[in-house]
Amino acid sequence: MPIALQYVLNGIITGSIYALVAAGFALIYSTNKFMHFAHGAVVVLAGYFFYSLFSSAHLSIFLALPLTLVFGSLVGLAVYKLAYQPMQKKRASNVVLLILSIALLILIENAIQAIYGADVQQLSVGSARSSLEFAGARITLLQLAIIASSVVFFIFLWLGMNKTSLGRKMRAVADSRELADIAGIDSRKVIAWSFVVGSFLAAFAGTLIGMEQNLTPTMGTNLMVKAFAGAVVGGVASVPGAIAGSYLVGLAENLGIVFLPSSYKDAIAFALLFIFLLAKPEGLFGIEKGVKDV
Amino acid sequence: MSFALALNILTLLAIYIILGVSLNLALGFTGLLNLAHVAFFGVGAYTSALLTKNLGVSFEIAFLLAGIAAAAFSLLVVLATKKLKGDYLALATLAFGFVFYSLLLNVQAITRGPLGIPAIPQAKIFGITLASNSISFLIFAGLVALATLAFSAKLVSSPFGKVMQATRDDELGLRVLGKNTTAVKYKAMAISAFFAGLAGSLFAHYISFIEPANFYLNEIILLLTIVILGGLASIKGSVAAALIVVLVQELLRFVPLPSMLVGPARQMFYALVLIVVLMTRPRGLFGRVDLK
Repeated sequence: MPIALQYVLNGIITGSIYALVAAGFALIYSTNKFMHFAHGAVVVLAGYFFYSLFSSAHLSIFLALPLTLVFGSLVGLAVYKLAYQPMQKKRASNVVLLILSIALLILIENAIQAIYGADVQQLSVGSARSSLEFAGARITLLQLAIIASSVVFFIFLWLGMNKTSLGRKMRAVADSRELADIAGIDSRKVIAWSFVVGSFLAAFAGTLIGMEQNLTPTMGTNLMVKAFAGAVVGGVASVPGAIAGSYLVGLAENLGIVFLPSSYKDAIAFALLFIFLLAKPEGLFGIEKGVKDV
Repeated sequence: MSFALALNILTLLAIYIILGVSLNLALGFTGLLNLAHVAFFGVGAYTSALLTKNLGVSFEIAFLLAGIAAAAFSLLVVLATKKLKGDYLALATLAFGFVFYSLLLNVQAITRGPLGIPAIPQAKIFGITLASNSISFLIFAGLVALATLAFSAKLVSSPFGKVMQATRDDELGLRVLGKNTTAVKYKAMAISAFFAGLAGSLFAHYISFIEPANFYLNEIILLLTIVILGGLASIKGSVAAALIVVLVQELLRFVPLPSMLVGPARQMFYALVLIVVLMTRPRGLFGRVDLK
């Protein structure tokens, strides 16, 4: 079944990128309890930042990539400090923050369109596109690197969340901010760090999308809906759940087009999103709290 | 300001007043965080355009069917999301809008996909042709806007209007009193969508060309700006904000910008207004409640 294997491989590649976005989104949701939709803007900004360094300024990838990751982390931190933190001090509701974050996403996407134009930008990655045959399926070196590096990032994330003091504090704040405050944890600082780490992952996803597919100014919105679907399938408040859910969405999209015209790829993610919102809104591994009404 | 320009601004104003006030019925008065309002607008526009163009249905009937189709679609949205609240509801309805947009692009046998629907027949009411950018079209659009305003004002002060607002303020309490709040949500959303569908029909026959991009997610920012700048649960606020938004949008055309910057500049402007209002004056101009 070489064709089936090819679809599975494609699903894992797409899923890796969704999972990087969703992991950061879920991490930020877990400490903040609101949906940071502007996370998609960090992905887009990082993608274009990398494009400028790598394709326009011809920096080496070993310089351009770390700079992009730092840049993305700083953008996420700035969004928190300049937009969300003042609002949280005023006790704005989650819905206000969500609408604010959607407005930020649209603002940033359109700013990028004004600067770079609406056209698709492609990064040339040269020999990384040469492909290997593997049991009848094809995979490029770049795609192998995407899968492997995502897994490495997730292992580091898991180690960081479970073995370091900052990670334990993040989980404490996610569990109960009040209790964390009582225990002497500076929850504001921990939340700021969750934005830094989450945006770091988003920036990495942005560079991968630039290399593997191409860049468009409005890709953030689409990607956020996909990552949100993945997060809901796995459980929005659970980082491992969101990662698993995103791989599921990526696989479902790519296996689904065996039976459906490929233009329906997007609709498959939405269908999954609805099935879960209706039947299991807490997701496969999530927490029910705050999802459903009365 | 030339006469044609004034006509255009006033006609667009009528359409945006209908959209803003109808979204406020759901979002402000009933507390339903519906981000699929643009899809209701689009259902109305495509219904009216396709019926008159492909099936030769008269405008009077297509206009009403546009509202009914949008209301029917809204029932589907409520059916799928009635158990969700707050940000989950907002994102689920946003995804609904996304599904609608991808259907417009993909069901090409009906919608012609990204090509859109050109040469939509002119509106005709009882034998009178309502040409685009004519006094007669403006009068009709203005009458529909006035009817929307009158109906909405009456609705929110009616007993049902009180139940809508009570659903927003204390759904659990209302259910303890034996009210079926789910039925309230269905009704409020259907009424809201009906008017959005009418606005869609007006838009389609006024512009005479529609494409999926008219109903993309971005457009929800414009409607949210109207409702939040004007203030939640304030009809007068939505009218005032629609006036501001349409005036600024049309005046922006006189700013000499390269054509490729016009679209992004317009979107950035709405997003900025929305951000500033949310951060400095979350109740907007005349708002009476907070977003919860």
